[in-house]
Order: sequence, then structure tokens, then C-alpha cells
Amino acid sequence: MSPTVPTTHPTPAGETPSALTAAQKFLRDAATKSADLVHREIIRKNMDSYEAAHNRGRARIKDWEAARRKCQEIKREAINNLDKYLLQFEQKVLEHGGHVFWAANGDEACAYIKDMAVSRGVKTVVKSKSMVTEEMHLAPVLEAAGMRVWETDLGEFIVQLRNEAPYHIVTPAMHLDRNQIRDLFREKLGENIPDADPQKLVALARRKLREAFFAAEMGISGANFLVADVGAVAISTNEGNGRLSTSLPRIHVAVTGIEKVIPRLEDLGTLWPVLATSGTGQPITTYSTLVSGPKRADEADGPVEFHVVLLDNGRSNLLANADEREVLHCIRCGACLNICPVYRNIGGHTYNTTYPGPIGSVLTPHLRGSEFQHLSYASSLCGACTSVCPVNINLHHHLLHNRRDFTKAGGAKTSGERRQFKLWRTAMLHPRLYELGGWMMRRSLRLIYGMGLSGTALDPMRAWSRKRTPVPLPVQSFRARWRKELSKNEQGRTAGGSK
Amino acid sequence: MAASNPSREAILARIREGLRAPAPPIEDKTFYGPIFEAVEDPLERFQQECKANLMECHLTSDASASAQALAAVLQSLPPGEVFVQDDPVLRRLIAGSGSQRQIRWSSEGGPLEKSQATVTLADALIAQTGSIFVSASGGGRGASVVAPTHIVYAFAKQLVPDLVTALRNATADGRMDKNSYACVISGSSRTADIEKILVQGAHGPMRLVVIVENNR
Repeated sequence: MSPTVPTTHPTPAGETPSALTAAQKFLRDAATKSADLVHREIIRKNMDSYEAAHNRGRARIKDWEAARRKCQEIKREAINNLDKYLLQFEQKVLEHGGHVFWAANGDEACAYIKDMAVSRGVKTVVKSKSMVTEEMHLAPVLEAAGMRVWETDLGEFIVQLRNEAPYHIVTPAMHLDRNQIRDLFREKLGENIPDADPQKLVALARRKLREAFFAAEMGISGANFLVADVGAVAISTNEGNGRLSTSLPRIHVAVTGIEKVIPRLEDLGTLWPVLATSGTGQPITTYSTLVSGPKRADEADGPVEFHVVLLDNGRSNLLANADEREVLHCIRCGACLNICPVYRNIGGHTYNTTYPGPIGSVLTPHLRGSEFQHLSYASSLCGACTSVCPVNINLHHHLLHNRRDFTKAGGAKTSGERRQFKLWRTAMLHPRLYELGGWMMRRSLRLIYGMGLSGTALDPMRAWSRKRTPVPLPVQSFRARWRKELSKNEQGRTAGGSK
Repeated sequence: MAASNPSREAILARIREGLRAPAPPIEDKTFYGPIFEAVEDPLERFQQECKANLMECHLTSDASASAQALAAVLQSLPPGEVFVQDDPVLRRLIAGSGSQRQIRWSSEGGPLEKSQATVTLADALIAQTGSIFVSASGGGRGASVVAPTHIVYAFAKQLVPDLVTALRNATADGRMDKNSYACVISGSSRTADIEKILVQGAHGPMRLVVIVENNR
């Protein structure tokens, strides 16, 4: 095997040593990223091609709204009977000769997998894409125990070589262009592809990873769905790395969250096309795989051991919150990231969480605590996320829920805002006072701007004008304009309308 | 399993406790019709979708025509071993193709990395998505993913109109009890992880060939 494989791993999200709080770091990184023109251009190109493919994909489905509703109902049934379906799934897997491990948190899950791997003498691990293994920081644990861990999804492989966390939950290396990937491969894999042809870059990764696939004793995958009635793990991939990871090594471990269960195999007849359409715009992913246990006696190949690790890690807290329970319906398609104006400007890494974008902003404060509550405010509440969610999660509403609960629990500093609202209320109840306030504001702003002090600490509009041209000041107040002209227009229209 | 699962009962208890409060009802009362367009002509639709999935679909009229189609595909490949699912139908097909290639049968174990192609049967063909439904009994797990070319020998009577039908049939015949593995394959292996540019042949087959025999 190549001596240049990565031996370190990305710093787990959110654990970067820093004196800044998560919220301060978020603001700093958001400001830097949104001003990075190269980054903006790469993301814009990626999002444009996603959007075109997504729209084509949606047009292929006769009734997209019916599809969303159906998926919502499937997940709703599963989540609201979670114990029943998880037990049904578990029983089937045990009948097929597999093992099921229930982990309350990431440490328990990592310890189970590490101890098992050590006891079986595992040296090489191939991983297919799994956000849950990112969430529990599995790879560093296995590496510390002396194992070599290969991310085999091309995008994950690229970010692993860069010691980075995934940029996006579906396309982890979205933030890089072909030249950056060529340079990375030259440096880390020792082979140069001068024209950076994507075809050749993929072929190089394929060659390197083939060695890993055939050497590995353990394959680790995620799961898109756990199918209760037949006891199978469903994995959707395009590259085939998920299939190789679950076919060639002698042990297969599927790691996933408890919320991934669905009642019936036939539910995938809707969920598979909807996941693919929302994820990449495809009618269905190339490989929609079902694994229900270890190799049977009469089968030609396949792992002799099959383990499913079910992770809670805060999900049952969310379940107990009836208002926000539907957040567990998420199928991790990434559509809300792609459409989000905030994500598109600040990029995936700025969130510094396993799950970025709107779904991550809703989920992370529940999974990781109030240190990440600032993410509930990283939204303009425009509702674009809600409009694309394939399982109809009311995402922007849940961001508001998070804010409400955070404020109620005394987490947000609201004394200043409360004072301002009190002042505003008084002014609104006393028109004369309001008029006086407006007059004083126009006067003083004109003075400040006239002295060239816009955007400085003396400017009350600093939040806006710090980085922007100040908004032109009106000559007269709205009230004055209303009296003179606007009210006449209004009367004219009303009169015209009543004819 | 309870002994090795210290958190199992605790997690289940938390889930049951959490579910005591019912979720708010879905407010949308709209009546929705069918989600997908009905498949009128399954064979025609299957061929269309194969094309869209960048698969090669050969329609043949009898077993000897199928054997010829297979021979032509095998001839186009570089020299080397071919892995074949050990089934009497495929033994006859290989014999009929007159191919002199070295064959590794699935009864001898999984395919080797150096295999030039794999040849398998299918459990079903799905018209809606142009897919091939395979399971582990069809030569094992590696049979449809290890080699650069995967050749599937199937019959028009195996066509089902849509995914839901294919999955219902699989539930009814206990496929996941009889097999440890099944896969709905819709095209050759691919990736768009670099600049969203489509590249075929990421980790699995670059070519997926399906020979559909339509003898009524």
C-alpha cells in the first residue's frame, strides 16, 4: 500500500482549539468566507448545476407535492412508533445472524466498533460515506488504535487527504475545483495529472482505493434507511464504493441513527426516487442496496459478520419534544443546504458542525447543546429550506422554535432588546413623540454623514453602513409625505375600486 | 443480546417516554393523486430508461440470439478471465457463445479483482427506472460490482412496471430472508464529486450491458 496515505484525521468539528466561542468563530468565519470571491464562484457554479438537475428531476415526477406528502407520512409513522419498528428491525437482523448494538452516545458506539475490530485483528478499514460516523468521530478512534482508515467515497477521500471535515453532507468536496484536487493528488498520492481531467483524477482514486478494498478486513457503511419489515439496511450510492465496502471485507459494520427506520420495504418505492431527486436530481441513485445480514452458507462471497450500530446521541431528546419531533424525519438529502442563501454565502465549513445548513442549524443545538444555539439565528427565515424539503419539515419554523426556547431558558441576552421595544412601544402610543424622534434622527444622521462619519462608532446605523454606502436620507418624514401626496393616491384607488 | 447492550433498555425507555406526547397533526388536508406517471409499455419504457442511465440494452428473440449478443460483448473486452454466476441457464448461454475465455464460476467463490467481466442473471427488471434487481443468490455480492463490465442476461417476462411492484414482490417472496444482499442497479458506476461533472466508472463497472430475451 502507498506510504503516503493519511495518518491524521480532520479535527473533529467544533473542537478546534480557540479562545473564541463557537458563536464568535462563526461570525468571524462567515465574514471571511462571504468575502472570498473564488469560493463564491465555485459554490455558485456547483449550485447552478445542482439546481438545473434538481428541476429536471422534479419535472419527471408526476406530482411532486404528493411525493413529499407520502414521504412525510412514511417517516411520521416510523418516528411516532419508533420503539416498535426498531425492535422489529432488530429481531429480523438477529434472525439473519447479524448483531445489533444500541449506543447512547458517540463514545459508546466508537468503543464497540474499536474493541470488536481490535479483537478480530483488523488492520485496514474501508469506509463508505456516513455522516453519523463523522458525528461520533469514529475514524480518529480507529486510527489511534493503529488501524488504517480509508474514506472511499471520492469526495470524502479528497477531504480526508486535506485533513478537512466534509463541506456538504452529499458532496463533501464541493468547495474544490479540479486544479486544487490535482495538486492534492500530486502531493499526497505522488502522481501528477497535468490537465486535471476529472476522468483521469477519478481513475487515479479508483486505482488507489482498489488496493484498500481488497486489503481491508472491515467495511464500515452508513445507512439511508433501516427497513423494519425485512430487517435490511438500505444504502444509496452512485460510485459503488458502498457496495465494495459491504461486499469484500469479512466484517461489515453499518452505523446509523435510530431515526433512520422505516416500516416497509415497499416504502422505498417512493423514498428512493425522492431522495435521489432531492440529493442530486437523479431519478434513482445508481446502486440502491439492501443488506440483511452476513453471507448465507450458499452465497459465493460477502462478510461473515454483520453488525448494526444504532446511535441515539441526543435524538431521543428531540423525540420527546412533540413540536420539533418531525426534525427526525430528515433523510439527509442536502436540498435545504443547496437552496439556503446563508449556506450559499458562508459555505459549509463556517457552521463548524457535522450537519451544516438549515437542518444542521435546527438539529445541532439539540445534539450538542446551547453552545450552538447561535445557529438558530443564522437564517433570514425566508423559508426556502421548508419549500424544498422532500419530507415537508417546517425548517424555518423550527429555527424560530429554537430561538423561543433558548430565550425562555434565559440563554439569549434580551435586556437591551426589551428596553428598545419598550421605548418603541411608548413612541408608537404617542404620535408626537414618534414624530419628534424621527425628526431628531434625520437631523443627527444628516450631521453625522455630512461630517463623513458614516459607519463609525458614532453612527447609529453602523450595523448597516459599516460595509455599505449609507441609505439616502429622506427630506421629509413619511407622515408629512402621507399628508401631502400619498393619502390622495390611496383615496383615488379606493374610489376607483368601489365603482 | 442484553448483556452486551448496556444502553439498549435505557434508549428504548427514553423513546417510549418521549412518545407519550403525541405529535401535532398534519394540517394539510389536500387529497393527492398518483405520484408517478403510469408505465404504459414496460419494455419500451425500460429501453428508454436504460439509454438515459447510459446502459447498453440488447433486445433478442431467442436463446441463440442472446448467446451471439454475449459473444459480441465478450469479444469487445480485453483478454482475461470472466466471472459467471453458476446457473444452468448461464452455462448453456456461455456454451452457446462459443467463447474460449477462461471462466470462473461463482461456485468457486467471489470474482477476482482481475476479472474482465461478470455475467449474471437478474431477479427482475424495473421499467420505471431502467433498473436491474439482483440479489446475492445471483452469483454473490461482488458479481455485479467488482469487474469493469457487468453483463446481465434477463427475460422480458421478468419486467415489472415500477419500483413499488418490484419491492412488493421481493417482500412477498421473502427475498431478504433468502438473501443477505440485494441491489437495484440503475446504470454504471459514476461520480460527480469533482465540479459536478459526471464521470463513469468510479469504483464499480464502467459498462453495464443487459441482454433482454423477448421470446413470447
